[in-house]
Parts: sequence; C-alpha cells; structure tokens
Amino acid sequence: MLAALLCAWQLLPATGLVPELFLPALSKTLAVLFSDWKIYGVALLVTLGEVVLAMVIACGGGIACGAVVGGFSLLRTIFLPIFSSLYAIPIVILYPVLTAWLGVGPQSKVVFAGVYAFFPVMLSTAAGIRTIDPQYLLVARSMGASLTQQVMRVIIPAALPTVFTGLRLGGALAIIGVVVAEMLTAAAGIGYLVTLNRTILDSPRVFAALLMILVLSVAYDMLARRLEARLLKWVPQRQSPMGPRTGLNTATTATAA
Amino acid sequence: MENDVTSGPSRDYALQTKGLTHIYRGVQGEVQALSDINLVVEAGKFVVIVGPSGCGKTSLLMMMAGLRQQTSGELLCLGRPMDKPDPSRVGVVFQEASLYPWLTATENVAFPLSIRGDDKAASRQRAREMLALVGLNGFEERFPHELSGGMKQRVSIARGLAQDPPVLLMDEPFAALDEQTRMTMGHELLRIWSTTSKTVVFITHSLTEAVYLADEVYVMSARPGRLIDHVEVNLPRPRTYEMMATEQFGMLRERIWQQIRMGH
Amino acid sequence: MRLWIPAIRALAVLVFFACWELFPRLGLVNPALLPTFSEVVSTLWGLLSRPKVQDSIFITAAEVLLAFAVAIPVGTILGVIIAENQYIGAIFRPILFYVFSIPKSIFLPMFILVFGISFTQKVAYAAFTTTFVVLMSAAACVESVKEEFLLVARSYGATRMQLLMRVYLPSMLPMLLEAIRIAMIFNFTGVMIAEMYASRTGIGHLIAGWGENFQMPQLFAGILLLSIIAIIFNESIRILEERFSTWRTT
Repeated sequence: MLAALLCAWQLLPATGLVPELFLPALSKTLAVLFSDWKIYGVALLVTLGEVVLAMVIACGGGIACGAVVGGFSLLRTIFLPIFSSLYAIPIVILYPVLTAWLGVGPQSKVVFAGVYAFFPVMLSTAAGIRTIDPQYLLVARSMGASLTQQVMRVIIPAALPTVFTGLRLGGALAIIGVVVAEMLTAAAGIGYLVTLNRTILDSPRVFAALLMILVLSVAYDMLARRLEARLLKWVPQRQSPMGPRTGLNTATTATAA
Repeated sequence: MENDVTSGPSRDYALQTKGLTHIYRGVQGEVQALSDINLVVEAGKFVVIVGPSGCGKTSLLMMMAGLRQQTSGELLCLGRPMDKPDPSRVGVVFQEASLYPWLTATENVAFPLSIRGDDKAASRQRAREMLALVGLNGFEERFPHELSGGMKQRVSIARGLAQDPPVLLMDEPFAALDEQTRMTMGHELLRIWSTTSKTVVFITHSLTEAVYLADEVYVMSARPGRLIDHVEVNLPRPRTYEMMATEQFGMLRERIWQQIRMGH
Repeated sequence: MRLWIPAIRALAVLVFFACWELFPRLGLVNPALLPTFSEVVSTLWGLLSRPKVQDSIFITAAEVLLAFAVAIPVGTILGVIIAENQYIGAIFRPILFYVFSIPKSIFLPMFILVFGISFTQKVAYAAFTTTFVVLMSAAACVESVKEEFLLVARSYGATRMQLLMRVYLPSMLPMLLEAIRIAMIFNFTGVMIAEMYASRTGIGHLIAGWGENFQMPQLFAGILLLSIIAIIFNESIRILEERFSTWRTT
C-alpha cells in the first residue's frame, strides 16, 4: 500500500496529471532535501528540541496531575467536568497570546505545545489510574507489606501501562503542537520552513519539509509502540485503534487534530 | 485464657472469637455487620463458614486476617490478637485471584517471600515447590493473562502457602469458576490440605461445597450476622465425589439450608 | 452532602475570573500583557457592534457549518463502510492507524496551493480534518452495537431497514451525539488553524492580527468570544447526550 502511494507521488506529477505546483514529484522533493540538508537538519534539531521540552511539561505535568486527580475520586468529581468543558475550546486561539508574551522564539512553541498536550495526557492518565484493581493493595497488605513496599512493588508496576500511554500520547501531541505553532508564527524549525517556502511558492521545498514532519510523527509513534510492546509484555493485548473500544476516548480522538 | 462454656479447658486454638461484633458507618447510618460471634477453630481442622450474601462472612475473614478491626469483642489467632496482618500466622486467598499481571506465576508466588526480605534464590525455589504442590508444573514462567481461571486460583493458593502460615483463610476462592472446575478445585484443595496439615477457614455460599470440604460448618444468618448453627461433618476422609450422592450428605445439606432459610 | 461539589466548582471558576480581574489591576501582572477581565469584556462589547467584526463572525460561522455539513455525511459513510465491510476495513485500518498520528495541519499548505487563500480552501481543509474524526467515531459507533442485540432482532425476522431503525439507531444514538460533539471541536479547531495561518477574513485572522500588533484587549476579547461560543455548543450537545443516555452502562 505504501509502495503504491509512493509510486503515485512520483508518477502523477511527473506525467503532468497533477500540476507540479500542487504536488511536486517525489524525486524533486528528495533532491531538494538532499541538497539543502544542512538547512533541514538544523530546522529538525530546533523542532526536536522544542518537542522534547514540551513533552517534559506535558508528560511530566500531565502524568503527575493525572495520577493525583485519578487517585482521589473527590478531585476527579469536582474538576473533571470543568476540564471536559474546557476541552471544547480550540487551544490554538491562545497561541497569539503566547507569541505576544514570549516572542517568536522557541519559548512560545514549547509552552503552547506543552499546554496543548497537557490536558489529554492528564485525562488519559486519570482514567488509566482508575483501572488499577484496588484488590492488589489488599493482597499486599495481607502479606504484611509496608507502605513503601506497596507503592514501589504494586502501585508503580500497575500504573506502568497508563504511564506509557501517556508518554506516547504526549509525544504525539507535542509534535503536533510544535508543528502547528511553527507554521503559524516562527523564525526557525521545520514548520517555519513550510510556511517560508509556501509563500515563495517553492513546492519541492515545502513538500520536503512536510515529508520530514510526516516521517518524524510516524517514526515517533512506531518507536513508542515498539517500546511499549517490548517492555510491557505482560499486558493482555488490546491493540486496534478503532474497534473493540466502545466509546470515544480522549486518547484516540486527541491525536486526530 | 479463661474457662468458658464454648472453649473448654484453656489451650491455644488456631482461631478463637468471643463476642465479636462489628458495626460500621454506611451511607445511610450505622450498619451492624456482625453480632456476637463466638467460634473456635482447632488446629489442623478444615472449617467452613457458610451464609447468605451480605451476612458479614467476608468481614469476619478480614478480621481474622488482620485487615480490619472489630468494633468490640475478642479475636485471637494462636493465642494472640490480630491487630495487623501477620503472614507468619495467617495466609489469605481472596475471591479474585488478584495475581499481579506484571509478574510471572513464580514471581507472584515468591512475592510474599520477597516482601519478607527472603533471599531471592531461596524464594524462587520455594515458589516452585508450591507451584508443584498445586499441580502447576510447567507453568512457572507464564504470565497471569496466559492462565485460565482455575489456574490463577491455584497460583493464588500457592501464594497463600508460600510463607507457610499455620492458618489459611480462603474467601470464596472458587466463586468465579464454573461448576465443573469448582468441583475439581475443591478436590485438589483437599489433597493439598491433607499433605500440609494446616488449619483452613473457608468461606462459601455453596452448601454442597461446604459439606464436601468441611470437618465443621458454621452457619451464619443474614445481616446482622450471627452464628445460628454449628454442624459436624462426620463423613470419612479422603472425601470422594460418590459421597455427594449419599443420604448422609443430603441430610447435612438440608439441615444447613433449613437453618439459613429460617435465619432470614 | 453532594450539593457542595457544584459549589466548589463554581467557586473555582469564580476564583479564576477574580484573579483575571485583580492581578493586572494590582500590578501583579503587567496590564499591558494581560488586560483585566472587565476591560476585555467592555472591549468585546465594543467590538461586537463593529461591522467588520460582525462580518468576520459571520464568515467564520459559515466556514464552520459548511465544513461540518460536508464532513459528517462523508465521514459517517466511510466509517460505516470500514466497520461493516471486512475487506475494506482490513485494507484501510492500518493506514488510518498511522494517519492518526500525523499532524493534519501539514496538509494546510497543500490546500492553499490548490485553492489559493480563500473561503473554499478553509472549508475544504476543515472538512478534511474533521472527516477523519467522524470516520473513526462512526466506525466505533457501529461496532459498539452489540452482536446480541442484532442476533435477537434477526431471530425475530427483522428486515435490514428495521434493524437499522430499531436496533442500530437507538443503540448508537448517545454515541452519535458524543461523536458530533467531538467532531465539532475538531472542526472548529481546523477552521481556526486555517484562518490564523493564511486568511484575509474571519475571526481567526482578526485574532492573529491583534496578536501581531499587541492589541491585547482585542485579542483577549476575541478569545473570550470564541470560548463562549465553543462551550455553549459543547454543553448543548452534552445535555442532549445525557437525555438519550439514561440506559447506558458504559
């Protein structure tokens, strides 16, 4: 399937079926990518740096808050409806505020992507924490386990799948957030290259940048899932993205942005 | 230990309660879960507590395990009260196997030993022995999600036995299994019990299971739970499936069922 | 005892707005960067009477509704096909799996290249983004109808039409409403991104402009307006959802 798409990408423009302006041939795109690799390389590093920092905020904060909110049902009951309602607001409209406050540099991107990814990660973690069987602690207590033992040997391993989901989700959303921010107002980064080259109608360069973004997000997703599968061998499989899960959960819908 | 009508000459029973009462605060005010429970369990016996749902038998077990404290009355295990869980005296097998999914069968069984701080190699060795005892040779490195319901409960039993406590408490361990597996597991349990000479307190609401497994049956009433009967099951051991068809078996069942019905 | 929970929520919201009002006033935050809440509200009031702002609101609303009107049918049909048809499902599911982790905003330049900077481009982009969400939700909805329900109905000889109307629809209704609610959130976001990125009209464009020119009161006024609209829509659908969800156990 992938091969078919790649062929189409090469053939459609090359044969003139699709104007080169709209979709430059794959060969031209790759050529430009190689010739300008320094520019793209630097941009990629900038973007990656922003993504990593955003992830620290989103995953670090999101998982911690999610664990706290999820663990204490009172907090959940009080605050969850508020967060659900706030979810309806397109967070992108807050970006101009950030550029006004923090300027056009990486700070605004990091904060934006950090906040953008924060809520879904927190909500997903809170939901995941609730799925931990309370009986696990009872069993440990019956064996005379101390509090430290209970936390280290029961709660933390039991929470791992949730934490991993949070990390995967947080990373994916951080990438999306950074890219959108860079496309809107930036001075560096891959998204910036997209916008820059679009305004001068240099399609191959635009698509080269788009290709990089594509590869980045897919690579991250695959890496995260691989890691998850290897480290969490003990989790009974619940794979498919659309399917047995009856219900639209935040994790899967959030990445559709 | 004072002389008492219910306990005879003083000696340490495996378990003993006197006037055990428990009241807790529910959503709509106070609920009396247990009312004046007086029972004794002699060492080495297989005692079953049977009663309708909600009669407080699980609460009673929790207290025997040291996981809950009674409101009033006395509970002694091997002569001393249980104010907190003490795996050197009491092992617990819960209704839901509650095996930790991130640990293999062996690691699950070794878990109480590692909590206690035992040497790793010794723990693993002991865990394997326990798994062999419950008939799970060859499944030591499996994860819980790869095991059937019956197997999971076996691991849970092995785990309860790991620290070699003299008393084993079991809270409806076979409730989540289908009937055929239940019968097999019951039989298995008796085999394990006969080779380990432990005291077992077993909770169930199945009358058949009660009579089949027990030396003595305590019958509890509906909430607030009181002891309304104490039945001695004099069927010979080892128990066989054929015994379930005998008249004596039927009469014992009837008696318990009558008591429960009237106790409502 | 349960009454004080909504009270705490209300209190939290009030505290938020109180801070918004007080911090700039007291100089804890630079009022040039964060205008007081009252200032934002009065600016909003003033803006709403300006024809340029009214036009922008109108255009944005039109884009949102049009994109929605396109995405819902298309997404639903595709989603249903993927859920119902084994072969098509098997082919497309893996692809869609990966597509979901891609930032859809990277397609925005493509739409601009094809349609230029225009009303059509924004609608097309938003519709494109939203279709994916609708597709996924529709597939999930269809799959959520329990096999047993269908089996029972079929055993009584129900026709396909009857199955559709009397089993599928009622069973899926709460989920459909939730899907609509979430789709609108993404739709709105899509339109906003498009307007802020490259557009000459619409509220998103105005907001981007205000941001660039450091016109903070107007910027916050715009944000406030959009937030209110988004929340109103969200909560209305949610109320409907709850009305039809009384029988749900999930």
